[in-house]
Amino acid sequence: MAERKGFPMPLEVEYPKELEGWEEMYPPHYLFSEERREWEEKHFWYHDKIHAPDPMYPLDLIFHEAWQIALSQYTTRVFCIPPAQGVAQRMVGCYMYITPVAPPSQELMKEKAELFQKRVFYVFDHYDALWGLWLKKFRALGEEMANIKVPSELPKFEPDDTVFPEPRGYYTSYEVIDAWDRLVNAMIKGWQYHFQYLNLAYLAYLLFADTCRKLFPGISESTIGKLVAGAYVQMFRPEEELCRLARLAAAVPEVARIIKSDLSPEEKIENLKKTGEGRNWLVEYEKAKDPWFYVSCGSGWFHYEGSWINKLEVPFGYLKSYVERVEKGERIERDLAGIDKQRAELVEEYRKLIKTDEDRKSFDDTYKAVRTIYKYAEDHLFWVEHWFHTIWFEKVREFGSLLVKYGMLKEIDDIYLFNRFEVPIILEDLVTTWALGEGVPSRASYWQAKAEKRKKILEAAKKWTPIPALGTPPEEVSEPFTVMLWGITTEKVNEWLKGVTVVPTEVTEIKGFAASAGVAEGKVRVVKLLEEITQVEPGEILVCPTTNPAWAPVFTKIKASVTDIGGLTSHAAIVCREYGIPSVTGTGIATSVLKTGDIVQVDGNTGIVKILKRA
Amino acid sequence: MPYVLWFEEGGKEALRLVGGKNGSLGELIKAGIPVPPGFSVTTEAYLEFIGGGIKGEIERILSDLDPQDVSSLERKSSQIRDLFSQTPLPERIVDEIGTNYKRLSEMFKVSDVPVAVRSSATAEDLPTASFAGQQDTFLWVHGIEDVLEKVKLCMASLFGPRAIAYRSKMGFPHEKVLISVGVQKMVNAKCAGVMFTLNPLNGDPSKVVIEGSWGLGETVVSGMVNPDKFVVDKVVYDIDERTISTKTVQCVYEPGKGVIHCEVSEDQKKSPCLEEKEIIELVKIAKKIENYYGCPQDIEWAIDRDTPFPSNIFILQSRPETVWSQKEKGPLLGKKTAYELLMEKALSPIRIGR
Repeated sequence: MAERKGFPMPLEVEYPKELEGWEEMYPPHYLFSEERREWEEKHFWYHDKIHAPDPMYPLDLIFHEAWQIALSQYTTRVFCIPPAQGVAQRMVGCYMYITPVAPPSQELMKEKAELFQKRVFYVFDHYDALWGLWLKKFRALGEEMANIKVPSELPKFEPDDTVFPEPRGYYTSYEVIDAWDRLVNAMIKGWQYHFQYLNLAYLAYLLFADTCRKLFPGISESTIGKLVAGAYVQMFRPEEELCRLARLAAAVPEVARIIKSDLSPEEKIENLKKTGEGRNWLVEYEKAKDPWFYVSCGSGWFHYEGSWINKLEVPFGYLKSYVERVEKGERIERDLAGIDKQRAELVEEYRKLIKTDEDRKSFDDTYKAVRTIYKYAEDHLFWVEHWFHTIWFEKVREFGSLLVKYGMLKEIDDIYLFNRFEVPIILEDLVTTWALGEGVPSRASYWQAKAEKRKKILEAAKKWTPIPALGTPPEEVSEPFTVMLWGITTEKVNEWLKGVTVVPTEVTEIKGFAASAGVAEGKVRVVKLLEEITQVEPGEILVCPTTNPAWAPVFTKIKASVTDIGGLTSHAAIVCREYGIPSVTGTGIATSVLKTGDIVQVDGNTGIVKILKRA
Repeated sequence: MPYVLWFEEGGKEALRLVGGKNGSLGELIKAGIPVPPGFSVTTEAYLEFIGGGIKGEIERILSDLDPQDVSSLERKSSQIRDLFSQTPLPERIVDEIGTNYKRLSEMFKVSDVPVAVRSSATAEDLPTASFAGQQDTFLWVHGIEDVLEKVKLCMASLFGPRAIAYRSKMGFPHEKVLISVGVQKMVNAKCAGVMFTLNPLNGDPSKVVIEGSWGLGETVVSGMVNPDKFVVDKVVYDIDERTISTKTVQCVYEPGKGVIHCEVSEDQKKSPCLEEKEIIELVKIAKKIENYYGCPQDIEWAIDRDTPFPSNIFILQSRPETVWSQKEKGPLLGKKTAYELLMEKALSPIRIGR
């Protein structure tokens, strides 16, 4: 039995009674269990606030199911990173917890090392060509998903053309079942692609960070981040496209007037269609839309966030303010060449400080490796979490509509209250009933009641504050993803341990990663749920569980950001550095300690947030 | 040969005349570093002074020296010191120092500018400063009479007990070591301290480490207070570490009493002695000095009370850092390629849990 250090063991968690029944929403292997107790208690499970800050809708879990498998298999079975294993997930009262799996035995490490060397070096050597192949393959998969035909109705009689000249042999019932399976399989496959190079990109980053630390023992994580970060990142393309469209609009008074008006996006488009100039602008707009408006308004992980493509008021809102700024003579674009030049200069300055030629060569070598492959970490994000997920959400909506149309569910989004193994059961119930003929009842009321109950559980879960971690705290954390993405380090765990007993109102200072340099003072705006992001006022300090690049336009108006979770390459850190705003990430407790209206000082150089005045 | 050279007139090419410390100030000025103005009383003046008669006397005193006999060393050293003090400087030298002290005073529009008087030994052909011995520093010296007196005492520091014992043990002739004296405008230090152009704890060449405390720098150099400490990145200027200590004592000048130690006021004890912008300015200067010399430096600095930022920052001295610079410098990464380093990393065990 492991020594007790402060976090409860998984099976000891007590749930509010309003959460009763939460377990049935998720697949059984996602629950802590008596038969795996010994193994589970030896591990350290922490709330994954990056991917699951809110209670998890059962169908949104598919992304996590897919990444648990994919991330882990590349480390353990494909690229065979010798000392690491996978990252395991569990659900705790609708919140997702994860743990890096304990490292393998020495013998297995040796076995893995050979394969690692052979396979990883190959990828590093060929990355540029491999990226081209990856993108082609991935876009084809996205197209395939987009082309899945979801029947919009179950016909009274199958039409003639499915009978003549040869009866097709399969009909709408099969099409429904097949379409769901293909949709799910495409999502699982997409996530297998997602991790094709990501583990290696992170590994290269860690290697470079290691090299830097040997040469400059005191170099900060945020500086290493700055040395590696690229300026030309695909995740920023949607925003760049908006800037381009804003400039085009600003150049034509008639177009600018319509864009700046208070009409709805649809009305604006209608008005633009009326003039030649408007139509010219719309041609450019259409070009930008696919694929660049397939970007989530949030992180891409939740169905309720929506994407630009189906929430046109979001991109049109940004367009309006960009046009206004262009007219005032302001610069709206990020200075890409400047960012790139600045990075090159930083690298050169550190390089000059290296004492020996041999070390300079090793530095150059590792830097080249990380600059080659780290692009993947920055570029895949748009294609997978945004573009691909947007297509998924659009398709799932079609299934939701079908189920609502035939009374199986009350609302389209109720489909998200069922996990991906349950949805095909509802679909099967639907098509079976249809096939059986007239006057045959389905179990619609059973599904609807279940949906109602689950909605209530999720509401209750929102009000419940889960503890940051469970199980046995590790002495040392160094699984690449755990450190890099989630920002969980040995020090962090110790801070959290303190946090378990802390009274929020007595805290005067919070510590996290110094993720983006600078110091700022201001009023706090706590954004716990993603939809609250619109409440942020100019000059405020954004305090949230985590952030993501699709919030980019918000970063032009805030003074600083503070997050609960996230390392130095987390999205919040990257965006803040790009925008030159101070940021402290991975504090663990910021959203529970700070309240909207508190006055704080955020020191992005030291990673300390000081509470100056309570609201 | 001149008896007096202004710092900017004597850099490393004039070491024989102005000694190491003054020569280094000359170099700093050439490099564009803010150094309080002043001049060197050259070794030529020293030679002229002792040549005027006391040379023979010194030789006589030291002729039967027993380097093992501590009390005799002390006695002889003090005899020589008295000799220096009682013998007037030749008139030509007095005139030269007087004219230049006046010039320095005029620069600050006062009649008798307060100065620091320091010895600066010529160690150019000597392996270590031990040959030159205890070098003296006198702070807040006012008026020409006092300046002349302190110049002589600095010259006498060449014959401190340890210095003569060492030279005699090594068989190095006493007349071969020469001394120059620096006369430099006193900085009215609000705070002062030292800085290194690498982190002395781990040799990190990308950091400047600044230590400072209230008042004159002596409290920091002597270890009398726990100084504030700032570790700053040279490239991105992030202040990675700031340790604000409780600084109880400071060294200040009090008219009539001279340099005294006194209690730091309550509100200052726990406040940082440097402002953010001053820290950054110090780092910029440190980088400039290191670049000029091409090797890591150990620098003394002071912030003047009476001058506005950024002209309130002064460098008092810079010398090569010795601890890390003298270490055998092999490649830290063992001449490895990225792949070799990657394999090394990939094979190092990662411990999670127990």
